[in-house]
Order: sequence, then C-alpha cells, then structure tokens
Amino acid sequence: MSNRSGRTVVWGHLILLTVIVGVVVAYLLDARGVSLRTNNLLLVQPAAILALVLAAFILPSIFPRVEATEEVETKEEVETKVETRGDLFRIFILIAALAGLAFSLEVVGFDVATFAFMVIGLAVCGEKRWWVIILFSALFTVFLIYGYGTITPFPFPLTIL
Amino acid sequence: MIELDSVYGAFTLLSSDGNAWLYLLPGLLIGLVFGAMPGISITMAMAFALPATLYMDFLPAIIFLTAIYTGAGFGGSVPAVLMGIPGTSSAVATTFDGYPMARKGLHSEALGIALASSVIGCLASYAMLFVLIVPISGVVLKLGPLEMFAVAVWGMLLLGSLAGAHISRGILAGTFGVLLGTIGMNTAGFVRGTVGIPWLLDGVPQIPAMMGLLAASQLIGLINTTYLIEDESSRKISFAKILGGVRQCFRYPTIIFRGSLIGVIIGAIPGVGSSISNLLSYSETKRNAPDGDTFGEGNPKGVIAAEAANSSSEGGAMATMLALGIPGGGATAILLAAFAMHNIVGGPSFIAHNKDIVYAIMFSNFAQAILLFFVGLGFVYVAGYVVRVPLRFLIPSVLVVSTFGAYAIEGSSAGPITLWVFSVLGWGMVRYGYPVAAAVVGLLLGGLLEGNLLRTNQISGGDFIGYGLERPWALVIFALMIGSILLQIVSKRRRAKEAFLSTGSSS
Repeated sequence: MSNRSGRTVVWGHLILLTVIVGVVVAYLLDARGVSLRTNNLLLVQPAAILALVLAAFILPSIFPRVEATEEVETKEEVETKVETRGDLFRIFILIAALAGLAFSLEVVGFDVATFAFMVIGLAVCGEKRWWVIILFSALFTVFLIYGYGTITPFPFPLTIL
Repeated sequence: MIELDSVYGAFTLLSSDGNAWLYLLPGLLIGLVFGAMPGISITMAMAFALPATLYMDFLPAIIFLTAIYTGAGFGGSVPAVLMGIPGTSSAVATTFDGYPMARKGLHSEALGIALASSVIGCLASYAMLFVLIVPISGVVLKLGPLEMFAVAVWGMLLLGSLAGAHISRGILAGTFGVLLGTIGMNTAGFVRGTVGIPWLLDGVPQIPAMMGLLAASQLIGLINTTYLIEDESSRKISFAKILGGVRQCFRYPTIIFRGSLIGVIIGAIPGVGSSISNLLSYSETKRNAPDGDTFGEGNPKGVIAAEAANSSSEGGAMATMLALGIPGGGATAILLAAFAMHNIVGGPSFIAHNKDIVYAIMFSNFAQAILLFFVGLGFVYVAGYVVRVPLRFLIPSVLVVSTFGAYAIEGSSAGPITLWVFSVLGWGMVRYGYPVAAAVVGLLLGGLLEGNLLRTNQISGGDFIGYGLERPWALVIFALMIGSILLQIVSKRRRAKEAFLSTGSSS
C-alpha cells in the first residue's frame, strides 16, 4: 500500500479490478465487433455494462483516505490474513510452478512435469528434508501416473515412465 | 398413479434374479471412489463401467450403473467437505458450508450430515418418483425455454445471498461469472471472446474453472498454514461424531423435504439438473433460516440443503429418462446407452409396457440408498484422515490431482490451463473480498441463461410479456420465486420485531 496526498492505493486490489474490467471491456468490444444483432448482445451487453457500473462503485474503495486506512487495513486483514513479503514470494513461486505444470504437461511429459512440480511445491510449502522431497515426489508421480492413468479415457503423454 | 400389478411384478423380478443384487455393493464402491476423485465425474465413472454391463442381463446392468450413479453422487461431496473441491457441479453448494465446518474441526459432523442428507434425499426422491413418475413426465414435456430461463434466474438469486460483506463486489463477481459463462459460440451461432483459442468455442471448461476458483485458490492461500484444521485436538476422526452429524440431520426435516422436492423437480428438467438444484435449495434454505447470516461460515443447514437436493436430483433425472427417454445429463445418457446395448428403447412406450421393470429399478434404488448409508459411513471415516495430512504435502498433491482431473475432463491442456487461470483469479478474488462462489454460480448459469433467453426471444419475436402470459408454468415458477422473496422479507421483519420486543422486555 502506498501513501500520497491523503490517499493510499491498495495495489493488489487495483490490479485485480483492472484485470476484471479489462476482460469485460475486451469481451464487450469483441462481441460488438462480431455483430450488433440482438441475438448476439441480448445478455452480454447489459451484463457487461452492469459489471462496469459495479466496478465504478468499487473503485473508490481501492483509494481509501489516510484516516480510513487503518479501518481498511483491519477489514482487509480480516479477509486475507495479511502475509509477509516472504509469504507472498512463496505464493508467487507456487503459482508460477502450477503454470509450469499446466503448460508443460504435454510438452515434457506428465511424469517429468509432475515430478518437477512436486519437488518445487513441497519445498515451497515448507518441507525441509531433501530426501523426503525427492522420495515423496517420485512415489507420488508413479502412483498418480499409473493410478489415474488407468481410469481416465485419455492417455497421458510420458517421457520416462 | 401406482399400478399394484406392476409393483408385484417388480418384486417378483427382484426376488427371482439374485444377480441383480450382486452388483449393488461393487457399483456403490466404484461410484464412491471415482466420485471422490477431483475431475472424475459421475458420467466418467459410469462410462468406465458401461462396457462391463454388455454381458450382464438388462436389470442387473441397470442396477449396477444406477448404483455407481448413487455412489458417485455422494462421493463428490467428500472432497467438497474436506478440501472445498467440488468434484462435480452438483457439489458446489456443499462446499459453501461443508468446507468451513471442516476447517473448524467439525469435519466428522459435516461428513455425517452430508451422508445422511444424501441418503434421505435419495430415498425421498425415489418415493416421490414412485408416486409421481407419470405426472412429472407430463409436466416436463410442457417446459420450454422461458421456463428454463425462469429456473436459471431463480438460481441467480443465490448471488444475493452469496454476496457477503460487500454487496457490490458479490454482484460484480456473479456478473463477471455470467459473462465468462457466455464465452464461445452461443446458440444463435455467434462466436465471441475466444481470442482465437479453438477450445474456447465450446465455452470456458466449467469443471476445471470451478476447481480453480473454489479449491486451488484456497489451497494457494493456505501456504502458511500447517494443517487444514489448526487445532490438533480437533483433527481426530470420530465415528461417534459422524453419527452425531447423522442425528443432527434429522432435526431439520423441513430442509430435507424442501431440498428433495427442489431436487426432484429441477432434476427432472433436461439440461438443468443437479448443478442448479443444490444451489437453489441452498439459497432457499438460507433465505428462510432464522440464522441465515451464518450460512457460508459452517452452518450445517447449508450442507443438508445442498446434499438433499443434489442426491434427490437423481430421482428426477431418472423420471425424465424412464418416462420420456430424454437424458437430462451425461449420467442418464449413459443409462440410455445401456438400454440401447440391450436392445431396449427408453421412453413412453418402455414405461407403458414395462412398468414392472421401472418399479424394480426404483426399488433397487431404495436398497442402494440404504446400503449407501452403511458403505458411506466406512468411506467417510477413512476419507476423513485427509485432515491429518500436513498441508505441505496436501497442497502440492491436491494441486497435481486437480490438474490431472482437469486434463482427464478435457483430454488436452485446455483443462489444466483453465484450472491455473481460475486459480490465480480465485486467489485474487478471495484476497480482496470478492465471493468466488458467486463467480462459480454465474459461470455455471451464464450459458443456460443466454441460451434460453435467446430461444425465448426467437419464439416470442421480442414480445417477452405477451409470450410469458401464454406460458402458465413459467408464470408459476416466477410466482414461486417472487413468493419466496416476499416470504423472506416478511419473516425477516417478523424476526426483527421479535428481537426488538425481546430486547425491550429484557431491559
């Protein structure tokens, strides 16, 4: 949170609202670009306008006044249990690792991607013993590939197993 | 309404064919295990078992598949309670109060409540089906897009009750969900919002998106927590507490009855089914409960409402399938496929000529529901041990299982990528007080709302009011909806008045 000229900015909330508004505006423009006929915009256009109006109502809460900051912080703390920078860093690593898993499954194979994610995930989530990390990741990967693989209708692309 | 000759014939069929009973237990177990795995849907579990029924007789085959249906229906509630992961869309409302109960250390009670509500809901739905199968099927044929739209709007009213502390953020989350739910090609053939990604033509994959919004986002936020339940003494798995949950369920017969009725009626509507009935039952119960404000924080009534409705939807869906030959969803479509494999065509002619088989299927489902209670007790006891696994193991493991499940549903990276996108979005939303549940409801109902609104517009030529006045069932649904809102306002005022009077008299 930054403090300047009597107001602060809740940056994370600002980013989230920007993403939501960005997606809504892009979707509305795309839909209008496809066709302006009722059958295309009957629900999308009113819903998008409603979303933008609601976002405008929410916007002031992202820039609370300094005197209200303590109250806002208390509210946000109740909602989010404010993390330290270190905690946030770990969360971002976990999110990045999950992205790596999702995007690389078909590229490097389910076995390699799963093992790599498990190693990073366990380490980030607080497991300190390296041998536990390696052993659990390997066993869990094998168990999942053969266990889940037998009951799902699609074959998992593999590299090693 | 009940033909006693056919009932007698059904008893004869079931008592003469011992094979029919042999498949009950394996069917339930397969359903429970598959249903409890994130990403493995009821349909997938039944499809997996379908080839095995080819060499069975007709009745044992159908009983085996319906046992999987029943087992998987409850199995999906186990991860919903323990980890907040709705394995299927019908378990979404179970997460709203089941998961908070588990986090408070009331996991045993929550599982017991879910099991008992499911069993009673299932029994109630087949009891209603036994009496009402013919009239229900008659009503279903009269339902058009306007009626479906009315049901979807009723489901959307839930957004109001999910909004939480910030009403505007709640409605924005719901509206955003609706918009995301309309991405892809609509029923009029317009393609919007796909940004050139081919798999988005069919819309945002719903189950991976739901898993991301509700479960993965929560798990990411738990990175600094050591166990799902912080208090060590509350982590114990107690059979007595599970049974306590079962007993607790019997204290709310009205909620169970309302949930079952909603489940049967909504479940009978093709294409709507259990994914809406659990939300509707939850929102109606919250609206009518004196302690409605505590819903979402671990109120057992929320679990009862959701579970009674989603399990009773099975009976409704079976009514439409048996009486009309119309599959309401994937599970009943598989049952129809099993019918076809045995050279039997479902529908009005089947029910007219084979009432004894129809009643035999219903009776076997009674037995399934009762057996589910005992098998389920053991299952939830074992599954409950998940709360004793340290989160440093549970978080990455569940994220990987969810990713595999998302892949299994879509058959491509579309599932895992959707899961990731919605996990990040959900994490941000939870962090800043946007109710992710509202976004999930919007996402589920967006396509349904738009599709039926479009069809209504096309049929009515834009004259919604004139057309609406010609549709008595739509008027009935809208009247029920308005009635339920008015009742809520009246009861809220009455409670406020009573509270005021009691404060006045005590001071």
